[in-house]
Amino acid sequence: MNVLECIARRVEEKPLPSRIAFELLHIIEDENHSLKQIIALVENDAALTTEVLKLANTAAYRRGEPASTLSRAMLLMGEMMVVGVAICASSSIIFNCPLNGYDSSADEMFDHSLRSAIAAREVARFARKKINPGLAFTAGLLHDIGKTVISEFLEGRTMELTKACEEGEVADYLQAEKSVLGTDHADVGFMLARQWHLPDTLAFAIRDHHQPASTEEAYRTLVYTIHLADLISMMGGAGTGADSLAYTLDERYEEYLEVGKDDFAILLMKVQEDFVSIKQSFS
Amino acid sequence: MEIVYVGVGEYATTQGETGFMKTLALGSCVAVIVLDPDHRCLGLLHVALPDSTINQKRALERPGMFADTGIAKLLESLEAHGYEGGQLTVKLAGGASIMDPNHTFDIGNRNVLAIRKCLWKHKLGSIAEDVGGNISRSVSIDLGGRTVVVSSPGRGEWVL
Repeated sequence: MNVLECIARRVEEKPLPSRIAFELLHIIEDENHSLKQIIALVENDAALTTEVLKLANTAAYRRGEPASTLSRAMLLMGEMMVVGVAICASSSIIFNCPLNGYDSSADEMFDHSLRSAIAAREVARFARKKINPGLAFTAGLLHDIGKTVISEFLEGRTMELTKACEEGEVADYLQAEKSVLGTDHADVGFMLARQWHLPDTLAFAIRDHHQPASTEEAYRTLVYTIHLADLISMMGGAGTGADSLAYTLDERYEEYLEVGKDDFAILLMKVQEDFVSIKQSFS
Repeated sequence: MEIVYVGVGEYATTQGETGFMKTLALGSCVAVIVLDPDHRCLGLLHVALPDSTINQKRALERPGMFADTGIAKLLESLEAHGYEGGQLTVKLAGGASIMDPNHTFDIGNRNVLAIRKCLWKHKLGSIAEDVGGNISRSVSIDLGGRTVVVSSPGRGEWVL
């Protein structure tokens, strides 16, 4: 079996990270769904209900009186955000493993994903065409999911890849991955998204977050949001090891997002603050 | 062996002779390491942003977040250990960036420039720097040998 076949096998073996998150996604995809359907599903899961209420009462979401009911919590954070909470609540299944191929420890993948999710939710506010901040949060959480599959195939080659980037042999770390494996974390993430029947919006955000211009026009606002959120997360110090910062900013983001230089500094600070309070709520 | 971790926007000073002081995953942030040889005291600051004017309320709550307020607080903290002004050994690490050909979001470089400017105001300058580029660095200071080691995933470690 060659490397690509082994990777495809690993993708098939990867468990669905959170059944309830994906049930929620499918309900939300139906335009005629009601909030009652969401609440009914969430209240059947005591652990998820607790997580949703905890998050709604963090500094990042709380407005006025404490949220003590699911409907109040949903009002504060939006129904798509509950999908993100469900994925975070099951984070040990997909995130909490060391990425040895990236020289990255067990908690770095979750920290990077959560920071990217928070950054995506914040960047979404700057979108020229409105996008759902909860959807941006969920896409931010999942954008690097392909790394959890390809990491093992990069073990022992990390220095080779960082050297190739530093000496300009490849344009970025994505190309470095492709040069040794024939695929990269974005494409493998897309395979996982398809395997899990994720909606196209999330699947394309995962596949194109380093090459946002290549995605279909209809998805570009979200994909550029994730592109920028990923870079903000890395600049804030939360990468996934050897590939941190080894990616290029696509400046065409300006066509989709009104983020200026000063906004960027404020975003960095906001993400740092919300990360501390939201991570505490999940721990 | 005691290890003191300095988080984003935090600073710490010590006269300790054993243990380590560390700050991790700097990204575009900058670690400012200062050593007062006369009083054997050492300080470490993790700066995230160049200028406190973007949020003065935050600067009051967490002065270490910004270059201007962070350097001032770090020096104040050294004074508690006997520092009375004058020369310090200063080293800088971090200030990296994504690949950003037009320097649109070059916070790392702006952080380094702002820190150098603040140091000059206090008649200080760095004797060693490992800044810029597209790599995330961590810093570890061995309090026994007063050595500063920089590391980066997939690249190993080196003495600054």
